[in-house]
Amino acid sequence: MLRRLVLCLLPALGCTGIVGDSSTLSTEDAEAVGVSGLRRLTRVELDATLRDLIGEPNPLARTLLPPDPTDPFDNDYRQQLASTTLVDSLEALAQQAAERTVADMSRKARVLPCMPTGANDATCYRLFVRTFGRQALRRPITNEEVERFMPLHALGVEANSFDTAVTLALRAFLQHPEFVYRVELGVPSGQGVVQLTGFHRATRLSYLIVGSTPPDWLLDDAASGALSTRDGVRTAAQKLLTDPRARPQVERFHALWLGYHRLPHAAQLTAAMQAESDALVDRVVFDPNADYLTLFTATETFIDPTLAQHYGLTFTGTQPTWTSYGAAPRKGLLSHGSVLSQGVKFADSSPTQRGIFIRNRLLCQEVPPPPPGVNVDEQPTSSSPCKKDRYQTHASAGGCKGCHSTIDPIGFGLERFDRQGRYRTTDDNLPQCTIEGAGTVDGTTFNGPTGLADALIASGRFEECITTQVFRYAAGRREEVRDHAFIARMTKEFIANDRKFLDLLVTLVSDDGFAFRRDEEAL
Amino acid sequence: MTTRVSRRFMLRGLGGVSLGLPLLEIMLDRKAFAQNAPTPPKRYLVFFDGQSTGADNDQRHNDLVPNTVGRNYDLKSALAPLGALKSEVSVVSGLKIPWAAENGGTIPSGGRRDGFHVSTVSPLLAGVRSSASTTAAMGPTSDQVVAGFLAGSTPFPSLAYRVQADWYLSVSAPYGREFISYKRDTSNRITPIPAQVSPRQAFNALFGNFTPPGVDAATRARIDFEKRSRKSILDIVRGDTERLVPKLGAADQIRLQRHLDGFRDLERRVDAIAPPETSSCIKPMDPGADPPTGSPQGQNGAGENTYAQNLGYSNEEQRANLFVDLIHMAMVCDLTRVATLQMTMFQSHLNMFSITGQATDCHELGHGGVPGGTMAMSQGIAWHVKHFARLVQKFRDTREGNGTMLDNSALLFLLEGGHGYDPEGVKNNSSHSTENMACLIAGRAGGLSPGQHVVAAGRHPANVVISAMKAVGAPDETLGEVNGAIPQLFSTT
Repeated sequence: MLRRLVLCLLPALGCTGIVGDSSTLSTEDAEAVGVSGLRRLTRVELDATLRDLIGEPNPLARTLLPPDPTDPFDNDYRQQLASTTLVDSLEALAQQAAERTVADMSRKARVLPCMPTGANDATCYRLFVRTFGRQALRRPITNEEVERFMPLHALGVEANSFDTAVTLALRAFLQHPEFVYRVELGVPSGQGVVQLTGFHRATRLSYLIVGSTPPDWLLDDAASGALSTRDGVRTAAQKLLTDPRARPQVERFHALWLGYHRLPHAAQLTAAMQAESDALVDRVVFDPNADYLTLFTATETFIDPTLAQHYGLTFTGTQPTWTSYGAAPRKGLLSHGSVLSQGVKFADSSPTQRGIFIRNRLLCQEVPPPPPGVNVDEQPTSSSPCKKDRYQTHASAGGCKGCHSTIDPIGFGLERFDRQGRYRTTDDNLPQCTIEGAGTVDGTTFNGPTGLADALIASGRFEECITTQVFRYAAGRREEVRDHAFIARMTKEFIANDRKFLDLLVTLVSDDGFAFRRDEEAL
Repeated sequence: MTTRVSRRFMLRGLGGVSLGLPLLEIMLDRKAFAQNAPTPPKRYLVFFDGQSTGADNDQRHNDLVPNTVGRNYDLKSALAPLGALKSEVSVVSGLKIPWAAENGGTIPSGGRRDGFHVSTVSPLLAGVRSSASTTAAMGPTSDQVVAGFLAGSTPFPSLAYRVQADWYLSVSAPYGREFISYKRDTSNRITPIPAQVSPRQAFNALFGNFTPPGVDAATRARIDFEKRSRKSILDIVRGDTERLVPKLGAADQIRLQRHLDGFRDLERRVDAIAPPETSSCIKPMDPGADPPTGSPQGQNGAGENTYAQNLGYSNEEQRANLFVDLIHMAMVCDLTRVATLQMTMFQSHLNMFSITGQATDCHELGHGGVPGGTMAMSQGIAWHVKHFARLVQKFRDTREGNGTMLDNSALLFLLEGGHGYDPEGVKNNSSHSTENMACLIAGRAGGLSPGQHVVAAGRHPANVVISAMKAVGAPDETLGEVNGAIPQLFSTT
């Protein structure tokens, strides 16, 4: 029953050096190129894409498609599973989206590059297939491919309706495998490595930074060769970061990473908590002078009267505003209700679940599942009703101690904040049980989210975990040994550049690790 | 014509005044059909309840298994919704899935690992011992085995629907608790079949191409045009997918091949000609928009639990009614002969408040989420049984050939676990147990003789599944590593 806690720390690999823009890689650099497989657009990405491509205002994908596996990110392509249900849903989505587009004059005008002379106008139809196809499939369309769409024109002629032909072509594009998946055939460059084309890079850039399909200017950059140099990619990334869609995308990364994209509270409280965290993320990430770690040490927070009252903070006024914590024992994101809502069990905060959350998400350590012989559905019990006694009793038992002694003390350091982030000094409904709020993480003692933030920052491992999480979101999968060098390069740059989050993104997308891929041998 | 009155009840002549006319109709129709009735197809269904039968620390293993054995058994609270339909449903009790600890720590044939949750997926549904570490079925599930010989040229070789719309926990994922159907895919891998959770999309897929009888020529032409359009579109996307597959790496080929399999399923259905509407095969009412999906469970601003606010609930009551209606009509019209309906996920966190008035979720019912132990838990089971009973009744009330659809059907009701010894927690009277399991089986296909309580002490629940498979024509009495039907289920004594 004894099981060791396996802490999967990334080995601090040295920098392998940064290669140039050539399509040939040294053996060592080629070895460091990670795998990448077919990535299906997530429901959120698909909705953003339909919005930007055909002006669709409704979240059709979120309405029609099966939910994306989310653990914690929603874009892990290795968790995606194609099925009849998916194919059916995509057909329905394509039909609804196409019909709604053609039924709306302004939306139709947006996708049609020419004014048809009538149902028979094959020239205009071909031009439409070519231009829309480039946007939808994110690459140029060949003449041969255009011809494959001509049977749909023939149906339009039969119906004496150019609109019908356009609708049918839209339906085909919107369930096309190269629309639904990000297919990166690329150019084989030896040693099992594939060099991505400018169009693939445009797609990677766009879905990472703005969460949607590449805009026309970026596809033009791809066509002109502007994305084949590192400077070109960097320039494009910086331009995308000024796009208004970049902010919600950065907010979403953080919400998925720290689990607050959904919260188990009433709608108003959930919205207020999410707005609080989004505001801080925005403020830190998009301030060109701010150190990213300010996210965890900020002494002001953006709250409304409801949230102020919830937290017990002094607040005057009626509108959401930046408010100082003053003497309250809070600072940064870990003090937010959004993050403190994580790790609830048995209708209370769980020191164990919170400890696992901190290890997984903020230290990038995997905690093994409990060994056989443990019923995790049963509350810990002891002769004392107090939570600390109950947890200590069960965590000191035999084989449980090894793991729980590295998990629970982290959670105990947050116990003065309840499952909704409110401050307390005694257990819920048990005034005789005083909460001391002292915790330990890897030998460092702390009390509360402020102390935890300091301990994480002082640990020297925090930056590496941040870049690892960004890597996972960008790559759509968890890292492997082969990726460690890339992550180490990113971490080094991140620290050297005074921890600017946007610079981290630019570093990532302009690295060779982002310009090459290798095929996966097996599922 | 359908009627809500039990045929047996009427034939016994105890139905009272209102039954005169239906009785006459049935007798006339039976005569008319008896001459040259086509042989109706067999139907197979797995209906799943993600619960055990009893609650922790309650000595009562369940309030489901009848006291009396044989026919005309007594109805306990979990089966109360069966009412008079008990004559159409057999209860099999005393079942057990063996576990690793009783086999020296090695997972036995057809058995499970000791850790309870999701360990029964593979032995219960596929008859294959569970993996030590994953939640997946390790072989094809019975519905896919049956579809292999029963589907014929039906447009839908099988249906997979789920009532519980979401996992309802904000910080975790279901990790396989959402699947009850697995197939061997074209890459020879055992792959889950994700269920459709949208009644609206299920309706569109099943009945979207129905041509109402008596429509004018223009409407008929429009429907024909739409069908040809879909085929042309699918030609393009399926063709482009086929061209793409060989250009991909090994893992991506498998991924896209699965998508391609989906296109081929879809094409097969578009090609299929909608069945003619008859007195029983009728396009159902459009179900309209799906009920909105509920938020995760949790607490409100005052720190009270939100069970009463209906988080963790997406109107599963309405969804269950719709899916039962759709499966019934899909089988009446012979669009499919095989279906799975997963009412709740394994370890279900569906909020029970709107369903039973209990301020807890389905899983916590087993762990003392509300007082009342096994009796409280049985209210949750009874909700599942209510919908199963509704399905059985619809089959029973659909006339077919010389009898009813039930005569050609085998319908299973399976539960995730039983109650008793928990080898993981080393405890008795635990909900984390596969002792004292029970299941229900309805229908008369292949000589099944429903209406009995059969005690099959020590047998495997997959033996009941095999009985249902045998009833619809399985060539041998095997599912995975488990062998043998339960003869008493076919005995008329």
